[in-house]
Amino acid sequence: MGIYRYILFFYIIIASTNIEARPISYSGGSTLMMFSDNMKDSIYYHFSPTYKYSIGIESVKDNYLNNDYSLLRATYLINRKNTQYSQRNLYINAGLSINDTSNNFYGIHGDWETRRWFVGFGFKKLNNKIIDYDQKHLQLGVAPYLGEYGDLHTWLMIKTKKNSLNDDWYTYPVLKFFKGNVLVEFGYNDETEWDAHFMYRF
Amino acid sequence: MKLIGIILFLFSSWMVASDHSHDHMDHSDMMHHSHEGHAHEELVDGEKLEVNPERFDKFVATLSNAQVAVVSVKGMVCDFCARGIEKTFQKDKNVKKIDVDLSQGKVLVAFDKGFDINFEDIKKKILANGQNATGMQVVSI
Repeated sequence: MGIYRYILFFYIIIASTNIEARPISYSGGSTLMMFSDNMKDSIYYHFSPTYKYSIGIESVKDNYLNNDYSLLRATYLINRKNTQYSQRNLYINAGLSINDTSNNFYGIHGDWETRRWFVGFGFKKLNNKIIDYDQKHLQLGVAPYLGEYGDLHTWLMIKTKKNSLNDDWYTYPVLKFFKGNVLVEFGYNDETEWDAHFMYRF
Repeated sequence: MKLIGIILFLFSSWMVASDHSHDHMDHSDMMHHSHEGHAHEELVDGEKLEVNPERFDKFVATLSNAQVAVVSVKGMVCDFCARGIEKTFQKDKNVKKIDVDLSQGKVLVAFDKGFDINFEDIKKKILANGQNATGMQVVSI
C-alpha cells in the first residue's frame, strides 16, 4: 500500500501543458489531468456525460499572479469530422472561478490528426481582477513509428505559444508518450522552462 | 528537471506494471485453448475480411463457440482515443472479448455463438466514443 501512496503523492504534486488536449472522454468516462508550465500548475478532473461535452473542476496555482483558485470548467465539441484515416475536432471551452466570477476564461481549440501527423491550435482569453490576458498556441507533431493498440506510442512535436503578457512567441520541442490509459507530454524552452502534462483516462 | 524525472519514473513504472499484467493474462488464456488457423482472409461468401491477420489470429486464439464482429470504424486514429471503445464494450455482459486494430481501422468484438449481434447497437457504442461505425462483418469461430 505504501508504494501506491507514494505514487499518488507524486501524481498530485506534479502538474501539467496542453491541458486542452483530449478535453472530452467517451460517454460516461472521466479523465484526470495534471499540468505545469511557467504560468500555472493545475489539476483538472472532468466527466463526459456524452462524447459531445465534458464538465469538470480544476484546481489552479497561478504562478504569474501568485494566486490559488478553483474553476468550474466545461468543454463542448462543436465539430468533428471522422474519416478512415483522420479525425478533425473543434472545441470551445470556458471556466469560472468558484470564489470569484470575475476570474474566468473562455477559448477555442482544435486539432487534426492521422496516425502519423498532428496539427493543433488554441486560443484562450483569461480574465481576473488584476489583469486580463490571452494565450495562443500552435502545435505540430509526427509519430516516428506507428504503434498498434496497446503499444507505447510516441510523438515528436514542436509547439509555439504566445502570451499577451510578454508578447513573444516561444517555440520549443515537445515529446508525447501514451500507453493504455496514460498519457504524458513534456517540452522545454530556455525562457519558459518546462511544460509537463500528465493524463489518466478512467 | 526533477518534475520530468518524476513523470518519466511514474510512466515507466506504470508501463512495466501494465506489461506484466498483460503478459500474465495472455499466458493464462493460452493454457486453456488451442490455436488453430482461422478464416481471416476470405469469408464463406467470398467477401474479403480486411484485418491484420496476426492480430486477428491472436484475438480468436482464446475463443471457442463464439462469433466475432469485425466492425469498420472511421476516426479511430489513435490508441488513447480508442480506449473508450474498449471501455464501453466491456460494460456489455454479452461481450466476451474486444480488441482494436488501429492499422485497419477495425474493432473486433467477440460474442457467444447464439447471440444476436445488432449492428445498430454496435454503432451506438462506437458513437459513444465519438467515432463512426460504417460496416460490420461477422465471423464464426
